Amino acid sequence: MAPPISALILCMDVGFNMSNSGPGEESPFDQAKRVIQKFVQRQVFAETKDELALVLFGTDSTKNPLDNDDQYQNITVHRNLMVPDFKLLEEIENQIHPESQQADWLDALVVCMNIFETETGGKKLDRRNIVLLTDLNSPVSSDNLDVIIENLKQADITLQFFLPFPAEEGDGEAPGDQDRRGPGHPGTGKGLSEEQKEGLDMVKHIMLTLDEEEGLEQIYTFSAIEQLCMFKRIERRPMAWPCQLTIGSALSIRIVGYKAVTEEKLKKSWKTVDAQTNQKDDVKRETVYCLDDDNETEVQKEDIIQGFRYGSDIVPFSKVDQEQMKYTHDGKCFAVLGFTKQSSVQRHRFMGTQVIKIFPGKDDEHAAVALSALIQALHELQMVAIVRYAYDRRSNPQVGAAFPCIKQDHECLMYVQLPFMEDLRHFTFPSLENNSKFTPSDEQLSAVDSLIDSMMLVEEDEDGKQKDIFKVHDIPNPAFQRLFQCLHHRAVNPGTPLPAMESWLKATLECPEVIRERCQSALGEIKNKFTLTQVEKKKKLKTSAQIFGKDSDEPEAKKAKEDEADEEFNLADIAEGSVTSVGSVDPARDFRTLIRQKTLTFEEGESHQLTHRIEQLLGNKSTDYYMKSITCVEAFREQSVKVNKHSWFLRGSC
Amino acid sequence: MADWTSYYRNEDEEEEQEDGEQSAGEERLTGRDSLVFLVDASKEMFIKGEDGAPSNFDMTMQVVRTVYTSKIISSHRDLIALVFYGTEHSKNPNDTFKHVYVYHDLDEPGAKRVQDVDALRGEKGAKLAAETLGCGPSSLGDALWCCANLYSDIKLRLSHKRLMIFTCREQPHGGDNVKDRQARTKASDLKETGVVIDLIHLMKPGGFDVSLFFRDIVSPPEDESELGLQLEPCEKLDDLQKRVRAKEQKKRATARINLCLGDGLNVAVGLYATAVTARKPPPVKLYRESNEAVRSKTRTFHTQTGSLLLPSEIKKAQTYGKKQIEMEKDEVDFIKKFDDPGLVLMGFKPMEKLKLHHHIKPSVFLYPEEGEIKGSACLFSALLKKCSEKNVYALCRCIARRNNPPRFVALVPQNEEVDDAKVQINPPGFNVIYLPYADDVRTLDLPRCTSASQEQVDKMKDIVTKLRFKYKSDAFENPVIQKHYRNLEALALDMMAPEEVEDLIMPKVEQIDRRLGSLVDEFKNLVYPANYNPESKPAAKRKTADSGGGAEKKPKVEVSMDQIKVHVQNGTLGKLTVPVLKEACKQFGVRTTGTKKQELIDALMDQLSS
Repeated sequence: MAPPISALILCMDVGFNMSNSGPGEESPFDQAKRVIQKFVQRQVFAETKDELALVLFGTDSTKNPLDNDDQYQNITVHRNLMVPDFKLLEEIENQIHPESQQADWLDALVVCMNIFETETGGKKLDRRNIVLLTDLNSPVSSDNLDVIIENLKQADITLQFFLPFPAEEGDGEAPGDQDRRGPGHPGTGKGLSEEQKEGLDMVKHIMLTLDEEEGLEQIYTFSAIEQLCMFKRIERRPMAWPCQLTIGSALSIRIVGYKAVTEEKLKKSWKTVDAQTNQKDDVKRETVYCLDDDNETEVQKEDIIQGFRYGSDIVPFSKVDQEQMKYTHDGKCFAVLGFTKQSSVQRHRFMGTQVIKIFPGKDDEHAAVALSALIQALHELQMVAIVRYAYDRRSNPQVGAAFPCIKQDHECLMYVQLPFMEDLRHFTFPSLENNSKFTPSDEQLSAVDSLIDSMMLVEEDEDGKQKDIFKVHDIPNPAFQRLFQCLHHRAVNPGTPLPAMESWLKATLECPEVIRERCQSALGEIKNKFTLTQVEKKKKLKTSAQIFGKDSDEPEAKKAKEDEADEEFNLADIAEGSVTSVGSVDPARDFRTLIRQKTLTFEEGESHQLTHRIEQLLGNKSTDYYMKSITCVEAFREQSVKVNKHSWFLRGSC
Repeated sequence: MADWTSYYRNEDEEEEQEDGEQSAGEERLTGRDSLVFLVDASKEMFIKGEDGAPSNFDMTMQVVRTVYTSKIISSHRDLIALVFYGTEHSKNPNDTFKHVYVYHDLDEPGAKRVQDVDALRGEKGAKLAAETLGCGPSSLGDALWCCANLYSDIKLRLSHKRLMIFTCREQPHGGDNVKDRQARTKASDLKETGVVIDLIHLMKPGGFDVSLFFRDIVSPPEDESELGLQLEPCEKLDDLQKRVRAKEQKKRATARINLCLGDGLNVAVGLYATAVTARKPPPVKLYRESNEAVRSKTRTFHTQTGSLLLPSEIKKAQTYGKKQIEMEKDEVDFIKKFDDPGLVLMGFKPMEKLKLHHHIKPSVFLYPEEGEIKGSACLFSALLKKCSEKNVYALCRCIARRNNPPRFVALVPQNEEVDDAKVQINPPGFNVIYLPYADDVRTLDLPRCTSASQEQVDKMKDIVTKLRFKYKSDAFENPVIQKHYRNLEALALDMMAPEEVEDLIMPKVEQIDRRLGSLVDEFKNLVYPANYNPESKPAAKRKTADSGGGAEKKPKVEVSMDQIKVHVQNGTLGKLTVPVLKEACKQFGVRTTGTKKQELIDALMDQLSS
């Protein structure tokens, strides 16, 4: 069975009203076009099977199935429901222009609904969604509004509006008002026309009727940062993981888990192609095995068995044996080991790459009550459950903590993996407090204090409401945005260099302007109070890899070989590294090293040191020491010959 | 198709290699770590404690073994040696030194060595030690000299050299000034060649006075504090383990970068990975005939001409739809590059703004690098102190390595914490918590939830309280890895069967049941109706063969016809489960094709209400 797909219709106003803008401002048309472009771009690169249609209204011509005398005029179905592709991207770039008519956006909405009705008959659709982009500046007839809303409800179509201005004034918490970048949206506030006010009321009416609680959150502005909120609403939901939470053998609760937070990776990776033909079939990678002897005798793949390291030993261990002897378990499991204080599970000890939210089993009221009892009990006692978690029989079991999470509209457990003993590294660091050199003075502390105050990203407004001006979890991953931008560019404009990063993207990664201005004086104070000096580094030892430039395309074996060479090659250097005077362990070698390093001149330095050392050695009445002194004398002689300072040797040995 | 999959695997490998490169590269720069255990083998070490407590020697061997086995798992390339002094017999290269016994010279630890150390433990061990080692006069100077030779005989590059002296005698030479002086000279020679000397002094009646002799032997502590010398001698095995472990692991920064507070104001910091998921190591490929390791060589060549391809002769590509988009390799890197590596301060937020569920990977630890920018430690320390006082965290943009895209991180202050024995539990510095982007937070359809009543909650509270325990992050061993190494151990040492591994993350069901007693039934009566079975599959979509544990436990469902009729009249069929409804359909001879609950209910209603 094919997975269910979702379908979405982008419905964009291209009427003349959309081209109006104040001097120096981007027109609503350009903004809306960018929203559409970004959206389609993402869909194309995500390679979703979800279908997408594009309807334009306010066009000079009319092309839609409902076209009838004077009804549904100036509305064009540019593209029917299908999987978005590069062609659509190119069309959006080159074929969509502001046009000179106006059309009723409610009519356009009806055209979109009609598409869903007629075109999706055979396919199983997971969700249907219409996105309307308009400035609401065209006349609209509200005669059939209630019928339209009823139909939307019946067909289970969700609706989103994109407007050039926020739907609600002065409400900092609404997602439609996150304009932390600019001084304000073009056309905001009092500047609304009668039509726009009227239109806005209708939009609000529709949205609230469709969804009383969150309806208004589905009205967005054109500004770039928010586009992602819209993607998020329509993206497919994560897979359910049904299981049973068990406490001992007698108590179990049906649960279902969902991956709630995890680092999203790109599904595609780069493959290698021939530079001339651009064919991947022309390039082949092959791995051969060889013995570690002088001839590098090649070994056939069939003659290779596997083994494992046990310290210095390598133990041959066939795949079959390994499979038989390995750790096995009963599979899927979410079993409580015990309960502990929340404070004993430290945040920085969280392991793994995900957070799983645990809800009661689907449509199971009794499970819901039982789980709710556990969640509330944990919450009231400030405890967590320590659990054994295994995804399925094939995966390794984990130990983790299930935290209670109680929100206004839902309760759940949140599962995070915790470390095994083998994962932890106990590093000890020197104390910062017991060291007088590092202890900051009161003046210094107060400078840092005011820096923190000036750089607070969360502030309370007049109503005592907290406002966070830098929400990381609202920022789309810039790496994706950047990659899509470059891929898009290369696909549409082959042969031209890659573009620079888009400025809005760069801006999302910077410290907010307000903060930067506010912290200037505090920052200056810190500069005055603290002295920071870059330590001049002696030239670090360079390995050949650094000198010749590391090439990651180089075969691993070659690298390994270089490695070994390195190790021997540098052996001498390393020994020299720490020799500053002639010690007593191996005075002869120290002496030779020092001469080679030329840290001291032969005459005044080493020879004195060495003769001194020899005298010392002779003072100890033991054969070992006598032997050592003799090697010293030998070294002295040999080096003297090298530097033609026989006289020094003679003088020294007297 | 086969070609395609193998191709993709290759791509993955490539990426893994890139990941691994950092650590490999670091090793290349720094060489191997080494550790020498220099253990006093005098009579005093073998004296048993009161109530049969293990002798100091026994404890030491226990610790040495733990280090051996943990090194095998975590860093098998480190070199370890075990040397005894104050022995009667001598064993060292050329037998130059009397009363020094090199039990293991510097090498990677292996199965054999673990066995050797095992042999020295316990009652039997003491006996064996008496036979092979014996007790004699001691000269720490000779012992140190011998250790110095161990170091200098190694042909590999050593990055970190540590020597730990285990003794319970504060004056090994009994006041012999010549020997004392000799030992001091040797110690300073060793320290000069970069060896860090630690004293792990063990309990002795009347206390251990470090200042009498050992103060001049050991390396000074890293900071100004006299912490190292104020330590009480170790009495318990646990303390000893902790102390050795704290010293034995060499901390190594995964990256050294600047923390920019703004306007070119930089603090040098190092990133340290304090928790890394330990995995089973990858297998080594061996030649069947000789069991020797083989090397692999990977070549990229042209399919048609067969000639090897230079990096300049290949490009990278991705295909979308039917369109293939090509880029040069540098361009691929160029796309990933946003900025040079570093941390850039965005601002501060109150701690409560850090959401528990904003977790995407294990955190790392931040500590100043005074060696890069002088003054870093002072500013860092001020920042740490103030953040902690004001209960805020610093929000930063972080690029840890070259050509890595940026991530946002929370720097959470952590104050230094030491335990009763003055061993550091938490070092001072910031924990770096990686924060998710919008893409990383998934949208969930929230199910409708029914809340529990206070009575139900209170019953669950009783259950929770009954099962309280004290969680410690190092309490659980990974059963998968432990089992793997036990298997290897068994094979390496020709044991009949591998040692059993206790699965510590298996719930102790019997114990839990016993502790809870009747509470479970009381709770179940409060939340579950009589015929409810949480273990039955909710909607048996597919009939699996009766192999699963859950299926077997499913009770035979039977509800009388009368009961069904009552339900039909009251319209409460929905309360019954699907199996019951199916059974009812059979009983009433209702033919349905549907399997969904509603379909079954409708069919029953049609039949019985008419």
